[in-house]
Amino acid sequence: MPHDLTIALRVNGRKTEATFPARTTLADLLRDRLGLTGTHLGCEQGVCGACTVFVDDLPVRACLTLAAACEGAEVVTVEALEGPDVEALRADFSREGALQCGFCTPGMLITACDLVRRREPLAREEIQEAMAGNICRCTGYNGIVRAIEKTVDARICAEGP
Amino acid sequence: MKPANFAYHRPGTCTEAADLLYRLRDDVKVIAGGQSLLPLMNMRLAEPAHLVDVSAVPELRRTDLTAEGATYGAATTHMMFEHQLVPDVADGLLSHAARGIGYRAIRNRGTVGGSLAHSDSSAEWPTVMSALGATVHALSVRGERRIPVTEFLLGFFSTALADDELITAVSVPRIAPGTQWGMYKMARKPGEFADSLAVVQVRDTGASTPAVSVWLGAAKDVPLRLKHVEKALADRPDRSLLPADLSGPLAADIGADTATASPHDRHALQLHAVTVHRALMAVGKAPHAA
Repeated sequence: MPHDLTIALRVNGRKTEATFPARTTLADLLRDRLGLTGTHLGCEQGVCGACTVFVDDLPVRACLTLAAACEGAEVVTVEALEGPDVEALRADFSREGALQCGFCTPGMLITACDLVRRREPLAREEIQEAMAGNICRCTGYNGIVRAIEKTVDARICAEGP
Repeated sequence: MKPANFAYHRPGTCTEAADLLYRLRDDVKVIAGGQSLLPLMNMRLAEPAHLVDVSAVPELRRTDLTAEGATYGAATTHMMFEHQLVPDVADGLLSHAARGIGYRAIRNRGTVGGSLAHSDSSAEWPTVMSALGATVHALSVRGERRIPVTEFLLGFFSTALADDELITAVSVPRIAPGTQWGMYKMARKPGEFADSLAVVQVRDTGASTPAVSVWLGAAKDVPLRLKHVEKALADRPDRSLLPADLSGPLAADIGADTATASPHDRHALQLHAVTVHRALMAVGKAPHAA
């Protein structure tokens, strides 16, 4: 029987040591061991995007990342998303009705946050393409894309020319 | 679903990885980004007893640039190609191809070596690397060997790699001066695997007709060089062939018999003809390397 592994990492800014069986994915580590159930598991094959989290500042699929590979990594989940970009994004999601059942929302927010902070003006089609890896089974895409479009524009304007 | 149990190994060097692979060769898989292997393991289509995780091996992230071309470490991610964090010796083609792979979250972890080891001809790297004449570097306890990508890819999920061999790098020759390229990927949704994928290179040789090479992915178990299509293009220096003109030579290249083909196969042939046509139209139009 394979042994359990122990790794040290930072999760949402806090130093964490975790022990788990090797087959544990980052998503299961976050949800089952650390109680961070904001990261949702949909397809567990990388297609739906609900489990997207930041690892070392880059969005990745937590279902396709082994927890064991996260030694020394900095993980940020939806629970710890903060700052003006995210506040604007949350407000626009709310205003534009960008969530219905909310299952896909954690992954949507992480992916959208990654878009907003790049400060690149984006056409609606470009946002649609960038969000193509996050599936909303309520099919509320129009609201989601509208909300991101508004936040991207507003955050670029807020910083002025 | 969740992966089955396995023992996890995390070597710090290529030599260490090769030793582990040799010792565990009966039931071991190499994992880097895991973007192809983990879905298979989550679905229990793969249940290796041992995983050798090479994501902590710094050598596998190196790039060596020479006058002839570049040698990219096997764990270079799609994202690094996409954003040209590594030099693009194919005048923007590597970056363009990487952009189409999966989604950003996938590209941040998935690696070029992993994609080639997975050998799915509807993925970008097998076709693009075949078209560019790239070479795979493989390491085992017996030493290093170099395998042209076209000899490396043997079929669906099947490569020339031995059970205890590790891909360490991929060498890509510099695209020849005066070469223009065009690529087109046909997929139902951004980020999906291709239904068809064509890469065209047109090299001005000073002769009356330029040298044209055409590669097609997602048609067979390995990428195909379309020799009949190239011949048809040689007779038309302006490359003004329509999908209808291409489907004859294309059928010959794929080995399809248009007279007896099923509706499904005829549809596939049409898709490939349109894809090759669009790749031809795209020649010289995409942004170049920085």
